[in-house]
Amino acid sequence: MITDVFSGIYETIFGIRDDKFSLIFSTLYNEWGYIKLGLTFLFIPLLSWFLFYYVWRYPYGKLWHWALWFLISGIVVFGCTWSLANTIILASNNQQLIDALNDPQSGYKQYASDLPLIYAMINTSLALVLGFICSLIFKRLSKVQMHLPF
Amino acid sequence: MAKKLYIFGIGGTGSRVIKALTMLFAAGCKLDNGFDTVIPIIIDPDISNGDLDRTKNILRLYQEIRCQVNQPDDFFSQDVRTINELTNNSGEINPDYFQFKLKGVDGSSFGKYIGFDELSDDALLSEDDKNFVRLFYSDENLKSDLSVGFKGNPNMGSIVLNQFTNSEDFQRFGLTFGSDDAIFIINSIFGGTGAAGFPLLLKNFRGNTGLPRAAQIKDAPIGGITYLPYFSLNDKPESSIDSDSFEEKAKIAIDYYNRTIINQNKINVLYLIGNKSANNIYENFEGKAEQKNDAHFLEMAGAIAVIDFCKNINSYSVDNGVAVNGTQVKEFGVEKDSEVLLFEHLNNENLKLLFEPLTKFRLYTEYLAKGLQKSLNVSRWTKSNIKLVKKSKNSCIDENYFNSPEYKNHIKGFNEYFTEWINEMSNNKPSFSPFNDITPDNALTLVKNKMPKGNFSFKSLDTENCLLIDQNEMKFSVDKKHTTLIKLFGKSTAGVLKKHNLFKK
Repeated sequence: MITDVFSGIYETIFGIRDDKFSLIFSTLYNEWGYIKLGLTFLFIPLLSWFLFYYVWRYPYGKLWHWALWFLISGIVVFGCTWSLANTIILASNNQQLIDALNDPQSGYKQYASDLPLIYAMINTSLALVLGFICSLIFKRLSKVQMHLPF
Repeated sequence: MAKKLYIFGIGGTGSRVIKALTMLFAAGCKLDNGFDTVIPIIIDPDISNGDLDRTKNILRLYQEIRCQVNQPDDFFSQDVRTINELTNNSGEINPDYFQFKLKGVDGSSFGKYIGFDELSDDALLSEDDKNFVRLFYSDENLKSDLSVGFKGNPNMGSIVLNQFTNSEDFQRFGLTFGSDDAIFIINSIFGGTGAAGFPLLLKNFRGNTGLPRAAQIKDAPIGGITYLPYFSLNDKPESSIDSDSFEEKAKIAIDYYNRTIINQNKINVLYLIGNKSANNIYENFEGKAEQKNDAHFLEMAGAIAVIDFCKNINSYSVDNGVAVNGTQVKEFGVEKDSEVLLFEHLNNENLKLLFEPLTKFRLYTEYLAKGLQKSLNVSRWTKSNIKLVKKSKNSCIDENYFNSPEYKNHIKGFNEYFTEWINEMSNNKPSFSPFNDITPDNALTLVKNKMPKGNFSFKSLDTENCLLIDQNEMKFSVDKKHTTLIKLFGKSTAGVLKKHNLFKK
């Protein structure tokens, strides 16, 4: 169910699917790859803004602190997604995919090498949008950083 | 039931003790046993006296701030009023009503006041009245300008002050006096105004049937502080005040008090406060604006005596103008003698009374002077334009508030007086200097010999303010502008000092 939701986001909404390389997408689907990618853009901003609004008790927070936090959370999501996608796709345990990646004629290697960057960019964008929304919601109950971002 | 304490402060010392008491009230000290209103009354013929002016100004600021706080329960919690406010049931703030006026002393010589010039000096006609008067008063006394006080001459003071018990002010005092009210008198024994005024006042309280509610006043609990010499004045040939005579005058007056007040049980409790080895020397001014002596630790001890009197009020009863259990005589002392007194030198009871309120208020005043700049319009507790939150989550004390005339004139003005008071006590002898000079980075090291745990800066206080600012009790209505600031800092300073182990949890 959750896998369907996340695969729908990447495959349908962002159109990252090419049936010529279906082994990659079936691996992502079957080996919890989509769930891991989805939870990355969901939980990292949630956690980071939770820390910002409820744990970090710095009374002199300004807009640039918020912007820096925003940027850092984006970078963390980018890095985690890129690393995760690399691991799931390029270091997969799926023998068929390994074989395909090792076959230079299949074109898998070249197609797969671009995917982590694409997933990282998509996740970063989603995380930034979600983070912004989170920050507008979290700030309402924050005691110290309620005034940020505005 | 609501009770009132009338405090009569006579002369310069009276003014300075009332000032010290006002500072303690501002810091959150409160009178026990239901004394919810204090009515300070200053009696001083020297209307332009510097100490008097300063005290009246401090009382005015105290009232200005307090009347703009909704149900104060920490800082500024003790109600302070004038007799005028009680009789007119009005909230008009006018510091002149803290002083009882003496008639006929403005620009008048003592001789003129007693009608000396109209007397005959014809010895042959047996009307040698002038020479008879000269037996009591020197030519210097007779020519003395009354508008600067009695310059250490109680024989003059007792004549002039006698008039005021029949004055309109005194009558109004009688009208406002309630059956559970009490009276406290502050005077110094080594000067003129105080030494003369104290027995005179007491005599009237215990026996003037012309006063409204005379019966209630006669049997009211009365306490008093008599100051023995605790400072001296530098030698000034042109001045008629010689501090070398302070001790001699004190001995003579004490003998008189002993015979007429203590032995006759006219007063419930008499606090004697002094410093025999007084080595602090003030500038010798006969009066007027120049007479503005630095605050002294013993004046704060006097303020403690007022609080002690109210605390023990239930043990004082009076029957037909006589203290039933006799007159208690109390003295003030510190636990350890030192040239520089710190909190730890006070006895446990005084330490308990003073340490937390003074430390909290000091932190509050220092923060507003040195720490506010960093957080103003940055910290959430100073911002009123936060978007996407309920209006109630925005702070009422924003940049506009801190730039308002009310803040600048009342809060800043009072805080400057508090800082001046602390500094003057610190520079006097013996010095009461429990606080360190601080910077925003080491703010919590404000108490000498007390090391806080954790971060020393004002950051904790700003954080605490953010945590407390949207509590309901912090909100103010339009006419109670200082509610948020005063209540917020009353709580946040206590919270921070507890968290950093300066106060017991």
